[in-house]
Amino acid sequence: MLRRNVRLRKEYLYRKNLEGNEREIYEKKRKIREALQEGKPIPTELRNEEAKLRQEIDLEDQNTAVPRSHIDDEYANATEKEPKILLTTSRDPSAPLTRFVKELNIVFPNASKLNRGSQVISEIIETARSHDFTDVIFVSENRGKPDGLIISHLPFGPTAYFQLLNVVTRHEIQTKKEMGKMSEQYPHLIFERFTTQACIFMGKRVMNILKHIFPVPKLDAKRIVTFSNESDYISFRNHVYDKGEGGPKSIELKEIGPRFELRLYQVKLGTLEQDEAEVEWVLRPYMNTAKKRKFLGE
Amino acid sequence: MAAVKDSGFEALEKLKSTEPPVFLAPSSISEVARAASQYLFTKLKPHNPKSPFDELLVDGFDAEQIWQQIDMQSQPLLSTLRHEVKRFAKNPKEIRKIGALAVEASHEGDVDEMEMDDDNDVEDDDDDELDESEGEEEEEDEEEEEEEEEESEEENEGIEDKFFKIKDLEDFLEEGEAQEYGTTDFKNKKGLSKGKNQNLSDDDDYDEEDEEDEDEEDEEFGAFAGDDNEDADKLGKARYEDFFGGKKKETKKTMRDVIEDEEAGDGNQGNEKLSTHEKELLKVQSKIEQMEKANLDPKHWTMQGEVTATKRPKNSALEVDLDFEHNARPPPVITEEVTASLEDMIKSRIIEARFDDVQRAPNLPTKSKREAKELDDSKSKKGLAEVYEEEYVQKSNPAFAPATFSDELKKEASMLFKKLCLKLDALSHFHFTPKPVIEEMSIQTNVPAIAMEEVAPVAVSDAAMLAPEEIFSGTGKIKDESELTQEERKRRRAKKKRKFKAESANHPVKKARDTNSEIPSTVAGNE
Repeated sequence: MLRRNVRLRKEYLYRKNLEGNEREIYEKKRKIREALQEGKPIPTELRNEEAKLRQEIDLEDQNTAVPRSHIDDEYANATEKEPKILLTTSRDPSAPLTRFVKELNIVFPNASKLNRGSQVISEIIETARSHDFTDVIFVSENRGKPDGLIISHLPFGPTAYFQLLNVVTRHEIQTKKEMGKMSEQYPHLIFERFTTQACIFMGKRVMNILKHIFPVPKLDAKRIVTFSNESDYISFRNHVYDKGEGGPKSIELKEIGPRFELRLYQVKLGTLEQDEAEVEWVLRPYMNTAKKRKFLGE
Repeated sequence: MAAVKDSGFEALEKLKSTEPPVFLAPSSISEVARAASQYLFTKLKPHNPKSPFDELLVDGFDAEQIWQQIDMQSQPLLSTLRHEVKRFAKNPKEIRKIGALAVEASHEGDVDEMEMDDDNDVEDDDDDELDESEGEEEEEDEEEEEEEEEESEEENEGIEDKFFKIKDLEDFLEEGEAQEYGTTDFKNKKGLSKGKNQNLSDDDDYDEEDEEDEDEEDEEFGAFAGDDNEDADKLGKARYEDFFGGKKKETKKTMRDVIEDEEAGDGNQGNEKLSTHEKELLKVQSKIEQMEKANLDPKHWTMQGEVTATKRPKNSALEVDLDFEHNARPPPVITEEVTASLEDMIKSRIIEARFDDVQRAPNLPTKSKREAKELDDSKSKKGLAEVYEEEYVQKSNPAFAPATFSDELKKEASMLFKKLCLKLDALSHFHFTPKPVIEEMSIQTNVPAIAMEEVAPVAVSDAAMLAPEEIFSGTGKIKDESELTQEERKRRRAKKKRKFKAESANHPVKKARDTNSEIPSTVAGNE
């Protein structure tokens, strides 16, 4: 098991290394394809390799035409397997934090809660790997208020660090009896304004990370989970909808579940216990232009 | 006393004539100095009735003690002088009477006292003299400005009432401007104001403006100058000498010139009018000097980087505003409107059914599908007897067996394919290589029609029967046995024997023969 993990990790790193070369080849193929389509002469620097590349282009199909990056690799199997989530807290959680984690347990389908005790993080991740979990979610707090959320995708996937703000838990609303039990259906997902996509812009990446925590829902699911981005602050909402009275197009929304704001401050290209993992992106709030820049889109 | 006076006067004269370095070395000049100070003391005595000393006691007294005596005399003198100045400020006419006299006397006093270099007396005397000269200047200024103020007051009656005084307004403006320009400029401004005033008065002569405007401007600058004076009073501690060094004679002379000639004059710049450019230059210069001074001084503790409590004055952190500008956007406050807008967006998305769910990736087929044998659940329509019948028929008579389901499918498929091929061939104008002939074997039985009618299906036609050539192959000449000649009979018998021998060589005699194979059959070629 250990050796298999080590081998998988080496493969992943090797493929990451090859990415540079692959990207060059992809670029060359793209140029040749364009030249062929437009009927223009092939650029001179590609004349030597043109024959071989043309052959490869002919043999390409939908899957192989797109260049694959390690980022795609991380979530390559996600669509085939249903996600399995492990929820834990920081050490010595307070009562409000445990309540919040219980609520999150219900919000994320296929999640299970683990008491932290005095376990070390590396141990937790090892057990999660061996039990085939796909994601581990850590929640930390400050004086009763949950203030940090870390989502770590498991085989070797990325780790996203979020700051939690404006947390309102179901317990605080105190109309539990009126609310009734929370629906545990696989929810539909709504992602609003996650537009950016490129090296330092993290919109689509974060969308991917958050998306793959949830499984594939049924088409007629009544539960909706919304992540809405507004100037780099992501609002999380959990609703259940019903057809309203006023005609076919009216919808009645009922909010269930906790609501909070997330603020991404770091994305690392490794799991949680790898401190030396490469930092894919980190928030820089003390730059002079910090106010003007928006990383997640819009 | 006369003797003392004379000797004192002589002593003064002597002091005047000595070279300065002599004062630094301890010598007999101290005796002369004491005599001189005694003389001065008695000179000033009449002005100071309250002084406890009739004369300066110098014998056997310490330098410190002598100085204290002088101090005791001069302090009340200073206050009386101030009173006098104020009195003159209110009643300028009195100055005119005493004016010339006062100027002379103070001038003399100034000159004398400036010569005194004794350590004990210098500062004190200088202060006295300064005060006197200041007072004189102030008197002169005030005299002029009082006139202007009086004028302005007369003209203001229409606008002002007990609530609104233009003079107060202008005072306020002046304070602001003084702060802006800085304290160093107050002297210059006095000159400036005078210059402006003079300029304006000249301009008034030329311009044809309303009298009111002119008057107002006059008032303004009158008040302006008056305010300068007040500022000078307030900033009295910041003395001219502190900034511009000891140019006392010059400034006094120029001030007198201003008063006497009533020309525009600035103490520093000589007798020219200041242009705007020069004023700007002055401003900038003063700013530069301020900044240079600030740079040379040690920095304020807030600018010194990490400062612990010991390095800054006590309670100084309370006075400083310690906030800094945060560059990060603040977290959003969740109001009703925000929630409402979010919910609207969600509702619209639900109606459009536009979700961002995880999509299952389509699996690429790695192997071809195995043919799934479909088991038919429905009840079989054929009875069991029929099934056995078909099996038997198939075994015995392969021709009669009705085609099975899969055969029919195959036939249908081949028919369809043939049609397609025909169409394609038509497209290529029948330029194609024809399909290779597959020799198909079909059994044709030469069964008499009667037998066929019984067993074979009705659809079998005569055409399917064997043709006569297929039954009999040979020439047209057929001879009966009775018509044969001897040789022909022999020939026939020999042929028969040969045939029989050939057959028996190939096939050994078979014992049990199937009745099926006995039926004569021929092979026919089909396309």
